[in-house]
Amino acid sequence: MAKPKIAFFKFSSCAGCQLNVLNLEPILLDIVGAVDIRYFVMAKRENFEGPYDIGFVEGAVTSPRELMELKKIREECSILVAQGACACHGGIPSVKNFSGMTQKEMEQRVYTELWDLKSFPAQAIDYYVKVDAYLKGCPMDKDEFVTLVTSALKGINPLFRYHSVCNECKLKENNCLVLTKGKACMGSVTAAGCGAQCPSLGRPCEGCRGPASDCNAASLAKTFIDLGLSRDDVVRKFRKYAGNTPEFSKGAEAV
Amino acid sequence: MEAFILPKAELGNFVAALKKDNEVLGPVAKGEEYIFASIDDVKDLRLDYDTTILPPAKKFIHMPGEVLFEFEGVVEGKAPEKVGKRVLFGVHACDLNGLLSLDKIFLETYPDAYYKARRENTAIVALNCVSPCTYGYCASFNSGPSADIGFDLCLTDLGDKYFVEVGSDKGREMVKGLSAASNEDYIARNRSLRAAQQQITRRIDADNLGVLLHQNYDHPVWQEVTEECLACGSCTSVCPTCYCFGVKDYVDLTLQKGERQRFWDSCMFYEFSRVAMDHIFMPDREARVKQRLYHKLTYYQQQFEAPGCVGCGRCVYTCIKHIDPVDIVAKIQADPNPEKEVKLYTPPEKKVKPELDPWEPQKAVIKSIKQQTPDVRTYTFAFVDPKVQEAYTYDPGVFNMISVFGIGESAISISSCADLKGVFQHTIRAVGNVTNALAELKEGDIVGIRGPFGFGWPVEEMKGKDVLLVAGGIGLAPLRPVIKYIQARRDQYGKFDILYGSRTPEGLLFTDEYDEWRKIPDTRLHLTVDMVPPGVEWGHNIGVVTTLFNKISVDKDNAVVVTCGPDIMMKFVVLDLLKRGWSPEQIYVSLERRMSCGVKKCGNCQMGPVFVCQDGPVFRYADIMDLPGGVF
Repeated sequence: MAKPKIAFFKFSSCAGCQLNVLNLEPILLDIVGAVDIRYFVMAKRENFEGPYDIGFVEGAVTSPRELMELKKIREECSILVAQGACACHGGIPSVKNFSGMTQKEMEQRVYTELWDLKSFPAQAIDYYVKVDAYLKGCPMDKDEFVTLVTSALKGINPLFRYHSVCNECKLKENNCLVLTKGKACMGSVTAAGCGAQCPSLGRPCEGCRGPASDCNAASLAKTFIDLGLSRDDVVRKFRKYAGNTPEFSKGAEAV
Repeated sequence: MEAFILPKAELGNFVAALKKDNEVLGPVAKGEEYIFASIDDVKDLRLDYDTTILPPAKKFIHMPGEVLFEFEGVVEGKAPEKVGKRVLFGVHACDLNGLLSLDKIFLETYPDAYYKARRENTAIVALNCVSPCTYGYCASFNSGPSADIGFDLCLTDLGDKYFVEVGSDKGREMVKGLSAASNEDYIARNRSLRAAQQQITRRIDADNLGVLLHQNYDHPVWQEVTEECLACGSCTSVCPTCYCFGVKDYVDLTLQKGERQRFWDSCMFYEFSRVAMDHIFMPDREARVKQRLYHKLTYYQQQFEAPGCVGCGRCVYTCIKHIDPVDIVAKIQADPNPEKEVKLYTPPEKKVKPELDPWEPQKAVIKSIKQQTPDVRTYTFAFVDPKVQEAYTYDPGVFNMISVFGIGESAISISSCADLKGVFQHTIRAVGNVTNALAELKEGDIVGIRGPFGFGWPVEEMKGKDVLLVAGGIGLAPLRPVIKYIQARRDQYGKFDILYGSRTPEGLLFTDEYDEWRKIPDTRLHLTVDMVPPGVEWGHNIGVVTTLFNKISVDKDNAVVVTCGPDIMMKFVVLDLLKRGWSPEQIYVSLERRMSCGVKKCGNCQMGPVFVCQDGPVFRYADIMDLPGGVF
């Protein structure tokens, strides 16, 4: 089989997911050996036009230009992967969707040169185009990326499991931050796959991987109120990384 | 009782002596909580612990994750690693009883070599609870606060010393050099244990709990619990009796080298029952919540004759919402549904081939492949080892686990009849990872086969009776052996009607065999399809398979029905037949659920108290029709 042609693209985001690909140092050469990287502006001087077999898209879509590019990318890529929280759920850029300001007010608040600026609410890429696979998290998880590449090479569904982060915490026998410290941890409603990184370091889960399958955000929101969070704080918890999703919206709207 | 005294001042030396030949695993502090870990310094040992995050026996004997075997390319098995000798030191009675429940799963019905190796190399030093924990309710199930069986030694704290009870020869070795307990020590021990028993106020009144729960499957309390439940699954991770696991193949970037792994799974997870095409058998949170709690409080007992809840209280403590079985049962008892007759499910007698290693796939070669429809192929396999092939026999309707190494394993029914010697067949639709990978294989390629597993069609019981066979789509594959079986023994059966439905004419299986089937004496084959695409010729019925029921010619009062197809089809077949006066006793259905092990261990195929893999896949409808939550 010819090596699959792959490409990396970026929209409104911090480029951290792309950087995380390069952080795969111990096996980076194996990956480079297994695939043909045709387009990766962050890592290569020479980049080539499509079509590609697999396209990884980082970032939320928040301007007409990005939307136009996304549609072109979709046509060029047989498999399109949303890479990271912004592309999967809207991510940090989507915080603006819930700020209560108009698009114009926000533009004026952030930028001084407005003549070339056109923006709209930040959306996950699957709001506009069909997405074949998701790499959740902020940044995306390196191991999941490798699993996805391996699965694509084998032509199989990676069958990611999006149960709660609690499961990974329990397997590490971490002290539960909600129960022992009274911290507002999002782990119980957030999709696992990160290895419960933040709770393992004593920091509550921020929900960067978005909702776990069939999670119950409304119930957790009530617990946050019981822990002493203000209504606004609870809303901010659920509108931070995946506020666009119906699951986390239920959390934000429950209080 | 044989008992000794260990002064607390001597505990260090005692543990140091154990450490000479064993790894000693005991309770240590982790933050505000406790965990079981290897004891390097005896000062770390915290025998005053209340409970641990994970139950010790499950953590070190069931293991959260492990490698079953490694492979490169086609297959090469690896024997389970030799486990060094270990002592679990300070195991509470609840956790010890949890281990005894796990033993029922892993040491019976195909003993699990991995579990067994660790189990046999682990000595248990139990520790009676003299000051019970906050959330425990062990006294309800007679699984605490003191241990009575299953330990090598059992300690009771008597202030400045431990009362040490001997439970095995292994234990007797350990206490060499300790002085015998005096009468006063016995009295002190009994008093402190009685006092502990009295301190436990949390209780589930366990009389007829199974019947009570079955009567209250639709009690409003379940709705309340579902609204609270975060579906995080922590309750199952920390439960000492939860055994469910998943199996997956890992491969590295060479795509050749990899390993088959198993990992703790949970019935609380949405993806737990996921099969090909993202079909989920238990998508509804309320159903999953009930599956867990019913399993703990009644199904486990029905399945394994062992307690599914040992009252350790971990699920209550660990739950952010403090969902509490004690509360739930109390709420039901306070306002129960009206009593009604309830028949609790009991599994059939085990049917086990003791010579079979449940985890080792046997290599089988693809002899030929026949395209049935655009996405269905019939594969003819033969085991590479002629001795294995010779000894291989199976009943109509049972299944094999088929492995494509590096992709995974799938449960697939056998579509040939054991009368066919030297080879066996599977008819497989390409829909998921494994079946799509199978579709890529060619003659001469090797797969792994484990099996046969389960109970098939009641071909013995059917003798002397008429047979009505109703199949839908790919559901004809597990029924084809019945047709072949009857054909070979035609005089032993009465009239035979075959009703077969498919979505389209193109989807019909085994079309080249229909003429042969029609020639079987006193046999009728009726076909139907849901729709006929334009331009396709079709001279048979159009409509769902039940529209053929007016053509049934077998004698209702002396017939057996065998049916297999999509759940929704079987549901209406059963409903329609019951309406026509057939009895649930004479209807047999073949069910499909997610399966990972095939040997009643992984829990993936559980449907209420039923293990589809080993209690089925073929069931008499009368045996399962009263399951809480229903069948279809």
